Amino acid sequence: MNDVLKQFVFQELVQVSDPKKFSDDEDLLEAGLDSMGIMRLVVFIEETFGVTLPDDEIEPDNLQSLNRIISWIERHRS
Amino acid sequence: MLAVDSLLKYQASSPERVAFCENERVVDYRSFCLQVASISARLVDDGVNPGDRVALLLPRGIDAACSIYAILFVGACYVPLDIKNPDLRLAFIVEDVQADCLLGEGDRPAWYSSGIWINLLESSGDATAKIDIEKVYCAAPEALAAILYTSGSTGNPKGVSISHRAIDAFVQWTAETFTINGDEHIASLAPFHFDLSLFDLFTSVYCAAKTSFVPQSLTLAPGKLVNWLEEQGISSWYTVPSILGFLTLRGGLKLGRLPALKRILFAGELFSIERLNKLASLLPDVALYNLFGPTETNVCSYWLVDRARLTELKSSPIGGSACGASFKIDSGGELLVDGPCVMSGYWQGGGLQKKEAGWYRTGDRVSENERGELVYHGRIDRMIKSSGYRIEPAEVELVINHYDGVQESLVLGKEDMISGQRLVAAVVGEALDMQGLKIYLKHHLPSYMQPYKMIFLDFLPLLSNGKVDIQKVKAQLEGL
Repeated sequence: MNDVLKQFVFQELVQVSDPKKFSDDEDLLEAGLDSMGIMRLVVFIEETFGVTLPDDEIEPDNLQSLNRIISWIERHRS
Repeated sequence: MLAVDSLLKYQASSPERVAFCENERVVDYRSFCLQVASISARLVDDGVNPGDRVALLLPRGIDAACSIYAILFVGACYVPLDIKNPDLRLAFIVEDVQADCLLGEGDRPAWYSSGIWINLLESSGDATAKIDIEKVYCAAPEALAAILYTSGSTGNPKGVSISHRAIDAFVQWTAETFTINGDEHIASLAPFHFDLSLFDLFTSVYCAAKTSFVPQSLTLAPGKLVNWLEEQGISSWYTVPSILGFLTLRGGLKLGRLPALKRILFAGELFSIERLNKLASLLPDVALYNLFGPTETNVCSYWLVDRARLTELKSSPIGGSACGASFKIDSGGELLVDGPCVMSGYWQGGGLQKKEAGWYRTGDRVSENERGELVYHGRIDRMIKSSGYRIEPAEVELVINHYDGVQESLVLGKEDMISGQRLVAAVVGEALDMQGLKIYLKHHLPSYMQPYKMIFLDFLPLLSNGKVDIQKVKAQLEGL
């Protein structure tokens, strides 16, 4: 799951100098993830991983870094 | 300017009325005006004169709003910068507009060497500023009030120059058309370099309304944004379809929510008819208005969304005349506009290139439907709209072409469900380094102007007439 997610984030949503060096705790919002990027990301996650993410959980706390996103997805996988 | 006169009037007649709110900070008309007077005294002390251009490097909010009124108090013209722009672009704009002064917070930026720097965080030393109405400069209607920089088709940003007359026409029209009064609570989300902000800054004060700045973090949290609009009791909101689309799809909107909301005005890009229809059904009691016009004309037409027709329409009409604008459609289908809201000209290369009197060519293709409403069909040129931002591909190409080894490039808009269009580029050159090019673009262009995908080609395919075969390149880029 991590690799698929990372590939999507760095190819479609944020441009970073070296994705391999971008740590899973680094700030994606700083790196340029914006509201439209978040919408793309949520759609991608739901379609790719078959989870439903509640509307009221779409917020910076759950999207700040790759690790936050991954644990958010994990919480909704049963 | 009407809004300046109104501010001076209300600070005396209803001083305790709330003017602006930003998070926990609330300022009434009196204290807002006092802050404006204090900043304007500082501008005068530091040597700003009527007719000067004062660039503004501040985030959206009360301090920036105060600064804008202060600039107008001294008869100068405000130039709001996008604080997210890379330094190189900011430096270009400040140089191009020949800014006499830059207003911001903290240290003087390295890219601004000449001219006056005012650090708002530094106390003005004049905490006892008084409001001296006699000292407020009375600008001529044709004097410039604001210069809003936008992407330029010649490859460099250009400044749309807006007179006091044009802002007044817009303020009066919005106040009357939407019956805005002192009971209104307006939400403000548009950055000040977008013309949508003229409503939040000026119509609001003209009508003695209260305006609350939407906290920036809420733009990333649709559910919380809806909660905020509801808790605040927002009654009017002028925003862009991409944000409304986000709220419609993921904001947890349902019948009965946002009971205080009376109207939403939207502009800046197309609103997909399916999403608009969904929003209309979730908010049955809210009047929805589609406002239309390039920055050069501000709002020149508008359409009150007719719910009964939404299921049969293919796109949202842009309606009939707004702000006293007259229309003409030429034989090629291009919309020409004349009226009091039209800009004075472009600020470019250090001076105002005055617009010739008469019709302004919008570059938009339109037609009239059987009801006499205008319908939009796209651009006659290459301009791209992405999440409400307008982008001239030529500006992006010029930057790409300056990168080591690049010979030429072609930037196109790829159709996109979420942003309308997204930028993609085909680049021709030798021994090119994709990652290096991406980093280089990050330093030269704001994020919305960076192509999200690029391909390297050996050459751009040509048509038999010698022009680039755009369709062929498009097909290659679509596959990405």
